[in-house]
Amino acid sequence: MGKTIHVKVFKYNPAIDREPGFQNYLVPFEKGMSAMDALDYIYQNLDGSVAYYDHAGCSLGICARCTGKINGKAGLLCQTAVEGDVTLEPVNASKVVRDLVMRRGETRE
Amino acid sequence: MAGADFTLDGKSLNELGREGDTNDSMEKVFNDIVTQGYYLNNQKLVEQYVRSAPFLLKDLMDWGLEIKLSDQRMIFTSGTHIMDVLLKKARSAGVDLMQDVMLLDLVTGDGAVVGALGLDVHTGEFIEFSAKAIVIATGGWHKAFWPNTGMRDLSGEGIAMAHRAGAAVGNMEFITFCCNIMLEPPMWRGSLAPYMLSLICGGNLSNKNGDNVLAGYDPFIVKTGTGTEWNKSFISHATMKEVRAGRGFANGGVHYSRGDAPWDYMKMVASFIFPGWKYKAMDLSEWGRMLEENLPIEVGPAVEYFEGGIIVDERFQTGVEGLFAAGECALGAFGSNRVFSAITEMLVQGRDAGEHAASHALKRPGQAPALKVPGTLRERAELPLNRKDGVAPAPLRRRVQETAHERLGPIRNREELESFIAFLEDVKSKDLPNMCVALKDRIYNKEWIDALEMGNMVHLLETSARSALARTESRGVHFREDHPCTDNDHWLKESVVEFSGGSFQVGARPVTITSMSPPSGAVPYLDMMKRMMEAHSDTGGKH
Repeated sequence: MGKTIHVKVFKYNPAIDREPGFQNYLVPFEKGMSAMDALDYIYQNLDGSVAYYDHAGCSLGICARCTGKINGKAGLLCQTAVEGDVTLEPVNASKVVRDLVMRRGETRE
Repeated sequence: MAGADFTLDGKSLNELGREGDTNDSMEKVFNDIVTQGYYLNNQKLVEQYVRSAPFLLKDLMDWGLEIKLSDQRMIFTSGTHIMDVLLKKARSAGVDLMQDVMLLDLVTGDGAVVGALGLDVHTGEFIEFSAKAIVIATGGWHKAFWPNTGMRDLSGEGIAMAHRAGAAVGNMEFITFCCNIMLEPPMWRGSLAPYMLSLICGGNLSNKNGDNVLAGYDPFIVKTGTGTEWNKSFISHATMKEVRAGRGFANGGVHYSRGDAPWDYMKMVASFIFPGWKYKAMDLSEWGRMLEENLPIEVGPAVEYFEGGIIVDERFQTGVEGLFAAGECALGAFGSNRVFSAITEMLVQGRDAGEHAASHALKRPGQAPALKVPGTLRERAELPLNRKDGVAPAPLRRRVQETAHERLGPIRNREELESFIAFLEDVKSKDLPNMCVALKDRIYNKEWIDALEMGNMVHLLETSARSALARTESRGVHFREDHPCTDNDHWLKESVVEFSGGSFQVGARPVTITSMSPPSGAVPYLDMMKRMMEAHSDTGGKH
């Protein structure tokens, strides 16, 4: 088995959960993968419930809808390279719709 | 979205204050679009494109469009900039805009469209739209393939719902694969950056054995097929030949490197199109270093544009009263192969479709018709939420996308198309009726969105595969290994697919001709491609 990384993802549904938490996933590492690639792997193979802005995104660094914090630093999930274990959070947890998806028009800190 | 061209005749472009080409004319552009489309174009829609383009560009410039570059027939800017200009204009005109809303189905009454059922993706609540007229402008269905070059929400729902409502679709087998799309690393997969750079600067494409992918082809085809936007159909075809012969690389592509192209020139061009090696938020500086050192990157064809779509007349009305369609989702002007700009198509058709839809709505007196959304529409949409177990949508989506890329690519044959249709039948009977999402909550439920889009994607893949199977010839972006000639005697007609009673009827209708008579005879595919390239007018540029 090739190299794997631990991806820690912010999980929160404000309508149900009393407080946010994190979920850990083990993801195969591929050189040149982005945080979005890691989330795609999780979504397609490990946990269909994970939410990140993807349904109308470009995944090429153009639309800027997939903002998030990658190891504490704000950036685009689709254009931030992942090189090892990583923590993924929304830029502002108080404006979350679910997990990493923030309310419309509030994708900034 | 990152780069966007708008094409029109060079004379009109010159009159709008850019250099353009004063020797160009609308007639020459008409000639070029029809021959690039191998005469399968609806010539009435080509005329509409050619005539309307200068007015649209003037409108855009009046509304604040900034032009980065231009050539004889094209202005170049960014897609996001065009969108900003249009949004600003729409807002100032009082248009209500909604985002993150998907449409699930149209609602009809007495044979006319009366509204639609939508879903707010963020809240998961249904939305009912009542309307006297509707314009479908949902673009392509890139999401049915992986990899692809489009936005992740282009699932073709507009074409599929129009088809279900009774509108016919046509020429669905013609799908443009853009060449030289990045296939590695994962973060850049789907990017058009090498396509753009190679179109301007050239470069080298090599296979697994180190051989030049384009060696052995007619020099005129190679020159036109690399230096103009003919590159999409020609290079994609040539690349797939290598990959299918086992001479490709791990991701199903070939290697692109700088080759003999001068580094200084490439660096200068890159500084215009990717300033600082940044392509929007994509940092391509590592690729810049690789180009300088002449190191390869894997590239290949990926789905980019759909020539076929909902059949419309010159008023952009479909076969269903009150239902209009415009842009990429409609069967438009480009026949079997598009070289001119799709953004121009989107804008000229959108404007006219909007005007015709508005005048249609004005003719229907009173308030918008009462909407009776059948309860079954909601129930059907909620099935994946309510099932206790079943098929997970996300892996199914990826399996369908990858199979579509493999079986419905630029090169096809009967055996593979039949096996693909059997695969889709299997998905339709076993998987689609049993999709089940892990999370039962409606708020931003990605799996539910995927489940709702899957049916549309599979529907369109089937119309396309069945049309491709029926078309026993090779033309434009549709190449059949088992029928390698362009057959002008039997196939100068549009494929038509109707949908009723849950089944597809594949037929054909004559091509709409106004002034350019098509050729006759059966001609080997590449010979026909060369003839169509040679038929180009004397105007330069990339189109």
